[in-house]
Amino acid sequence: MPRIRVKVDEDLCIGAASCVTIAPETFQMNAENKAYVLDHGTEPEGSKYERWMEVTDDELETILLGAQSCPTLAIFIFDEAGKQLFPDM
Amino acid sequence: MHYVIIGGGIAGTTAAEELRKLDADAEITLISEEFHALYSRVLLPHYIKGKIPRERVFLKKETWYQEQKIEWITGEIVSRVDTKNKHIEFFDGGELPYDKLLIASGSEVKLLDQDVPGVSYLRTLDDADHLVELMRALPKDAHAVIYGGGFIACEYLNIFHEANIKTTIAYRGAHMWSRGISDEAGELIKQQLEKSGITVIENAKEFSFAGEKTLESVLINGQTHPCSILGIGVGVAPHFSFLQDSGIEMQNGILANAFLETNVKDVYVAGDVAEFFDERFHRPFITGNWMNAQMQGRVVAKNMTGTQTPFDLVSSYAMNIVGIEMIFIGDTSREHADATQVIGSVAEGGVTEIFVRKNTIVGAILTGRNNDRAMLTKLIKEKTELTDPAAILL
Repeated sequence: MPRIRVKVDEDLCIGAASCVTIAPETFQMNAENKAYVLDHGTEPEGSKYERWMEVTDDELETILLGAQSCPTLAIFIFDEAGKQLFPDM
Repeated sequence: MHYVIIGGGIAGTTAAEELRKLDADAEITLISEEFHALYSRVLLPHYIKGKIPRERVFLKKETWYQEQKIEWITGEIVSRVDTKNKHIEFFDGGELPYDKLLIASGSEVKLLDQDVPGVSYLRTLDDADHLVELMRALPKDAHAVIYGGGFIACEYLNIFHEANIKTTIAYRGAHMWSRGISDEAGELIKQQLEKSGITVIENAKEFSFAGEKTLESVLINGQTHPCSILGIGVGVAPHFSFLQDSGIEMQNGILANAFLETNVKDVYVAGDVAEFFDERFHRPFITGNWMNAQMQGRVVAKNMTGTQTPFDLVSSYAMNIVGIEMIFIGDTSREHADATQVIGSVAEGGVTEIFVRKNTIVGAILTGRNNDRAMLTKLIKEKTELTDPAAILL
């Protein structure tokens, strides 16, 4: 299973929540109305804007779709080697 | 199969991308009035504030269209659609036939009759470039004025506030979104603006500006105010004037069923211009936000390629206005609600207004109460029946 790093830039996030609509297991909104990152619906070590997770190919597809739907491109996805999968460089 | 898409914004471009995924061999033509590759309008304020460089507003590279084998026509205005002979006509001549047509022409910004250097609108990347230039040239003691009381006015508030420019906002209603939000929410926003040093002029029914070579002042309800830069945000209107005598039914937008099909065969609609039958809210629904436009682009492509998929989304829009957060969720039409109820108060620093139909919450407007968002979104999505809807938030 691919291991990826998912990061939300809270300074860019405006709280549109399209990522939550598409990938609720990975993104939820916090009290500041910013998206934060979950690992399969769980929050080990509490609420975080960035975390590593192991995902299936289908799950990766959904997370990428969630990131693509962000109108401010505030979500970054990296693979295990550190290569940025989204946004396309 | 030749798919023609009118409109190169997020709805039209998403549809083109999905059509290519679903049909590798189809001919796809995407017509854009603007010359730029797809960019995020939502990112324009970030660019104007200098939070991101200009190149970061783009969501597609110019080479993307060719890579996807999408014929990308820029700078062309469609003047007419002939649904009988299945072709579109361009303003400067020329016709283009289609097998299936998608109209994703978005909305147009409402303009004032007057114009003079120093007046700004905020809809396109060109508008944003213009505003950046205007702000660069401002004198130290500049006065900014904003005319309008909606989303774009809020963007101007944030932009001028962050740039430390002395700012006055004038709007026609008794408060911002005067028909859209509760008096309590309006009061809360007004207090936040005044706390931030912004001058608020309500009920600004008469508005004009003066200056020959450049903007010098504005006249609001008979009073003159100095003004070096003016941001106009008096609303947008769906853009469909080119459909007159096309036989396509229109009301506030272009009417469509839940599958985003218009009354004319092989003509579809998506995005800000679509007034589709929302099966969730049981009424024709038109909404101008990013999430809605993008998701409709995806769904309409499925329908155009033969997989019948109804559009179903509880969309939301959020924005921060100089420190106070506003969130609109679902159907917030006062006219279509059986009842509305306000929870919280100005004194507590937060109000949520819920819109109820048949004991079900269909929409909500949160002002300074972010924590209600998750629960309300869930209740709206799941159409949960409640005997006392407001009690859930108390």
